[in-house]
Amino acid sequence: MNREPRALLSTRYLIVLAVLIVYLIPLFYLFNVSMKTQIEHLKSPVGLFEQFRFHNFVTAWNKGDFSKYIWNSLYYTVVSTGLSILLSLFAAFPIARQYVKFSNLIYVFFVMSLFLPNPLVPQFWLVNEIGLYNTQWGYILLRTGGTGIAFLLFVGYIKSVSRELDEAAAMDGCGYLRFIFQILIPLVKPVMATGVLLTAIGVWNDIIGPTIYLSDSKYAPITRGLFAFYGQYLNDWPLLACGIMIVAGPLVVLYLFVQRFLVSGALAGSVKI
Amino acid sequence: MLPAALLMLPLLLYVVFAFGPSVATVYFSFTDATGLPGAKWHFIGFDNYDRLFNSSDQAERWRSIRNTLEFAFLVVLIQNAVGLLMALIVNRKLKGDAFFRASYFLPVVLGVTVSGLVWRMMMNPLGGPLSELFKSLDLPTGFLSSYGAAFEWIIFVQIWMYMGYSMTIFLAGLQSIPKDLYDAAHIDGTSRWQAFRHVTFPMIAPSTTVNMLLAIIGALQTFDIIYVLTNGGFNTRTLAFDIYRDAIANNTTADYGLASAGAMVLFVFVFVIALVSLIALRRREVDL
Repeated sequence: MNREPRALLSTRYLIVLAVLIVYLIPLFYLFNVSMKTQIEHLKSPVGLFEQFRFHNFVTAWNKGDFSKYIWNSLYYTVVSTGLSILLSLFAAFPIARQYVKFSNLIYVFFVMSLFLPNPLVPQFWLVNEIGLYNTQWGYILLRTGGTGIAFLLFVGYIKSVSRELDEAAAMDGCGYLRFIFQILIPLVKPVMATGVLLTAIGVWNDIIGPTIYLSDSKYAPITRGLFAFYGQYLNDWPLLACGIMIVAGPLVVLYLFVQRFLVSGALAGSVKI
Repeated sequence: MLPAALLMLPLLLYVVFAFGPSVATVYFSFTDATGLPGAKWHFIGFDNYDRLFNSSDQAERWRSIRNTLEFAFLVVLIQNAVGLLMALIVNRKLKGDAFFRASYFLPVVLGVTVSGLVWRMMMNPLGGPLSELFKSLDLPTGFLSSYGAAFEWIIFVQIWMYMGYSMTIFLAGLQSIPKDLYDAAHIDGTSRWQAFRHVTFPMIAPSTTVNMLLAIIGALQTFDIIYVLTNGGFNTRTLAFDIYRDAIANNTTADYGLASAGAMVLFVFVFVIALVSLIALRRREVDL
């Protein structure tokens, strides 16, 4: 490829850095406020903090009851992501391989929900009727499905790999469940990480679902917990900043390890209608 | 037939919790169903639809429709335009490009609650840094508590959150273009713009069609960012937010019928806009 002129290269750096500032300033600001005292903040809201005060985090952690919320969030995320991935494999494999009748039709049927009317009202009514309202299993069940983003990724990927492996496995008389765990899961590995992460991020960050279906604060996940905390300590900015950072911190650290699975090619091109 | 039997599990969940309720929305919208336990439901024809647009709050209902369209149009357009631009910029060798990409994508991971609350602090009229900056520049500072501009600021935060996602999708498309196409274009003496117009764009168009369509449908239906930033105050309601509001948030009535009628109105918008977009996007693919 032809070399680009210096001026163009500089412009590219300039744009990239300008946009970076828009993305990092809010996080830096959050850290800055979290290290202040309330008085320090009131005196100069945008000034730099005077010293590190990591004890602020301990105060926020205790006042916000974050250990309870984090535990709830972990529970919902692990169980419903695990089940969703398994169900997505159950759905994606036979459909991608056309091993069941009307495979294409079932695929369209699954994708159709994107266009259909918002199911909120009858869904809410149904959950109430069958006694799942305000129960942890009810919420997990609602968040679990085999037709989400992981399903779409799996179908796209399985279609692109050869059938020889599953046919060989069938000839060996290998059981279907063993086939799924020993052959299919290793096979879809390139999109597995992305599928798991996107599903998990969706559950972990859900705020509308728990707001609607889990009214009891003892079942609240971290998103609800943080939101309530924000409403309660509206004027104590350092405490608020600490609360937000307590929720954001682990996500940022985790993200450092998994970002290559998210910011990669696996996202694109795999979804086809 | 274990594969078929196991396929029944996701199928069943889908029918019970997603497809079924979607279809039942039509029925609900023609009844006077409410959240009151034990109350009898009656078939009331188009009354809910009539109430939706001929009640005392009709100005706000029309505002919801306007907001829904404005949100979908601006978010999809700007998010994808900026996403494509940034993808083109970071696609060529830059020092620290991995760090840039990761940073732009970060808000998706942080989620709507963290991102929304951070921006609420940034925009807080009492000492938020963005508010201080605007004050010093003599710009209006109402932000999320301004009737005139709160909705546009919600749109800004939404784009901030998902620009990195769009960029990533475009990047993957760009990286799948064979390098020799550019070499050939270079030998032919094409300019950068021509190379973009006649090589890059046609090559990424097919993979972006679906993503654009999904973005449009998503933008028409999303409302979690509104819930976190303003909870529908300051003229920031949309059709999707109204469904939630009428059915659940408004505890005194829990008006299932009205909310379902709202869901049907939104469905018509989603359906028509998705169809028109699909036809337009497919035609564009053919033209190139």
